[in-house]
Amino acid sequence: MSAQPDQRMLVAEDISRHFEGMHAVDGVSLAVPRGKITGLIGPNGAGKSTFMAVVAGTLPASSGTIRFEGEDITRLPTYTRARRGLVRTFQLPSEFARLTVLENLLVAAPHHRGDSLFGALMGKRYWLKDEETLVDEARGLLKRFGMSAKESDYAGLMSGGQKRLLEIMRALMLHPRCLLLDEPMSGVHPRVVEQIQYYLQSLRADGLTILMVEHELHLVEQLCDSVFVMAQGKLIGSGTMASLRRQREIVDAYLVG
Amino acid sequence: MNTYYAANLLIYAGVDIIAVLALNLQFGVSGIVNFSFIVFQAAGAYAAAVLSMPPHTAADYSFQVYFGGYQLPFPIPWIGGALAGGVLAIPVGLVVLRKLRSDYQAIALLVTSIIANTVINNARPFLNGAAGLALVPQPLQDQVDTNTDSYLYLYIALTAVCVGLVWFLAARIVNSPYGRTLRAMREHELAATALGKNPVALKMTMFMVGGAIAGLSGAILVGFLTVWAPSTWLYPETIILFAALIVGGRGNNLGAILGALLVPVGFEEVTRQLIRMNVGPPNVIPALEWVAIGLFILGFLWFRPEGVRPEPRHVFEGSPETELVENVGTA
Ligand SMILES: Nc1ncnc2c1ncn2[C@@H]1O[C@H](COP(=O)(O)OP(=O)(O)OP(=O)(O)O)[C@@H](O)[C@H]1O
Ligand SMILES: [Mg+2]
Repeated sequence: MSAQPDQRMLVAEDISRHFEGMHAVDGVSLAVPRGKITGLIGPNGAGKSTFMAVVAGTLPASSGTIRFEGEDITRLPTYTRARRGLVRTFQLPSEFARLTVLENLLVAAPHHRGDSLFGALMGKRYWLKDEETLVDEARGLLKRFGMSAKESDYAGLMSGGQKRLLEIMRALMLHPRCLLLDEPMSGVHPRVVEQIQYYLQSLRADGLTILMVEHELHLVEQLCDSVFVMAQGKLIGSGTMASLRRQREIVDAYLVG
Repeated sequence: MNTYYAANLLIYAGVDIIAVLALNLQFGVSGIVNFSFIVFQAAGAYAAAVLSMPPHTAADYSFQVYFGGYQLPFPIPWIGGALAGGVLAIPVGLVVLRKLRSDYQAIALLVTSIIANTVINNARPFLNGAAGLALVPQPLQDQVDTNTDSYLYLYIALTAVCVGLVWFLAARIVNSPYGRTLRAMREHELAATALGKNPVALKMTMFMVGGAIAGLSGAILVGFLTVWAPSTWLYPETIILFAALIVGGRGNNLGAILGALLVPVGFEEVTRQLIRMNVGPPNVIPALEWVAIGLFILGFLWFRPEGVRPEPRHVFEGSPETELVENVGTA
C-alpha cells in the first residue's frame, strides 16, 4: 500500500469473494511491490487461498478489481493471466499424476513449437530443438531441487514434499513475472526449505515478484520484505514482520484464529 | 462369397480401428468422455450418402425422402463425411464442453446421442427417418464393377489408406508436446489452466479432430454397406468403442488398434459364428454378446484397468534411469 505507483506490480482493489453468503474474502485491497517477496499470513480459513485464487483467476471475484502491471485483468481468464506472467501454485498437490516429473515441467513451458495442433502435425523435426532446450532447462531445475534421479518417475508417485517442489519448479518453467505461492514449503524437509528459500531470494534478485502464503512465521520473517495479515476474509494489517509483532490485535487474531 | 466375408471383416476392422483411434484422442488422451461418439460417425455416413446419391426424386430413389442428393464423385463424399463430423462437433462442443463439469459432460453427450437418434428416426423428410437411406452409391462404381472380387480388394485398399492416414495423424498428435499438454489437461485441468493452457480450446480442437475422423469412418462404412439407418448408430455402439479402448489401453494408439480388433471385430465375429453354428435360439446369442462384452469390460476395469497396452511412460534420452520399470499403477 505504501509502494510507489510504478512499483506496484499487482494491485487488488476491494476484492470480495463469497460462497453462498459466506464471505471468504471481504473487501481486500492491497498492492504487491515489484521485485519483492511479500507475505500473506493469517489463521486457517482466513481467506488467503481464496484471495490467491481470485488474483490468479481460478476463482472469479464476486466484486472488486485486479490490476497487473497497471492493466485491469479482472475479466481475463486464468490461462491468459498465466501467459502474461502471473502464475500461481496450489496449496494442495496438483501434479499431473500420470506424467513423469520431467514431463510435468515440460508441459509448463510457454512458446513450445510443438505445443499446438499445427506444430504436432508438422512432426518431430519441427519442434525437436525447442524440446531439447526445454529438457535442458527442466533438468537444470531438477538438479537445483535435488530431484534429478526422479525425472522419469510418474509425478503421482512422488512424496508430499516432492510434489511441493514439483509445484514450484513447474511454475518457474513459465518464467513468471509474478509468482503466487500458496504454502510452498509446508511438509518440506528443513534442509530443502533452506534451498527453496535461497532460490527464491536469488529469483528476487533477478527481479521476480512473489506473493507468498506461509504459516511458518520465522520463514516469513526471513524471506518477506513486507507482510499482509488476513483474518475472517478481511485485511487486518500490513508491514514488516517485526512491526506486526508489536501490534497486539494482530497477534491476537493470528493466534486465536 | 468367401472373399466377401473376409472383405467384410477387414473393412469393419478398418472402420473400427479408425473410430477407436479417434476415441483415443478424445477420451484416452484428452479425457473427454464422448458418449455421443457414434453420432459423429453417423453424421459422416449420412453426409457421404447424400453427397453421392442422386436427388430423392430420381427414378430408382423415389421410395425414400432425404435432403440434398448431389451425385458427387469419390472421394468428395468421404471428405464431406469427415467435414460433417468435424463441423457437427462445433455446436455440440460449444454447448457441452464449455461450461459443464466433466462428469456432467459425459451425461450430456449421452443424452445428445439419444436425442439425435430419436430426432433422425422420427423426422422422415430429413434423412428418411427410421427406414434410413438405401442404394447409397459405392465409391468409383461408375468406373469399376462393384460386384467383383477386385472391387472388394480396392475397397480394402482404400480403407487401409485411411487407416494409415489416421494412424499417422494420431501418432503425431499423441507423441508431440501438444499431446503432452492434452494428457496434462486430462490429469488436472485446473493446474493446466493455471500454467497457461486453454482447456476449452484444447477440448474443442480434439472434439473436432475426433469428430472428423469419426465422420470419415462413417463415410467408409456407408460406402461399403450402401445402407444407413438410425438402428445402426444407437448409443450402445459408442459403449462398444469405449470397451475396445479400455481393453486395448487408453492413451496408447497401438492399444486402440488392438482393442478395436478384440472387441467390436472379435465379439461380432464370435457371435456371428455361434449363430451360424446354431448353438442356441438365434435371438439369445446376440443378447449374450452384450452380457459377454459387459463382463469383459468389468473384468478389465477390475484386473487390468490400464488395458493390454498401457499408455507408455516417456523416458527421455539421457535420463539417469537405466532400467525400465514396467508400467506403474495409479497412485
Ligand atoms: N469452494 C468453496 N466453497 C465454499 N466455501 C469455501 C470454498 N473455498 C473456500 N471456502 C471457505 O472460505 C474460507 C476461506 O478459505 P481459504 O481456503 O481461502 O482459507 P485459507 O486462509 O487459505 O486457510 P488455510 O490457511 O487453512 O489454507 C473457509 O472458511 C472455507 O471453508
Ligand atoms: Mg489456504
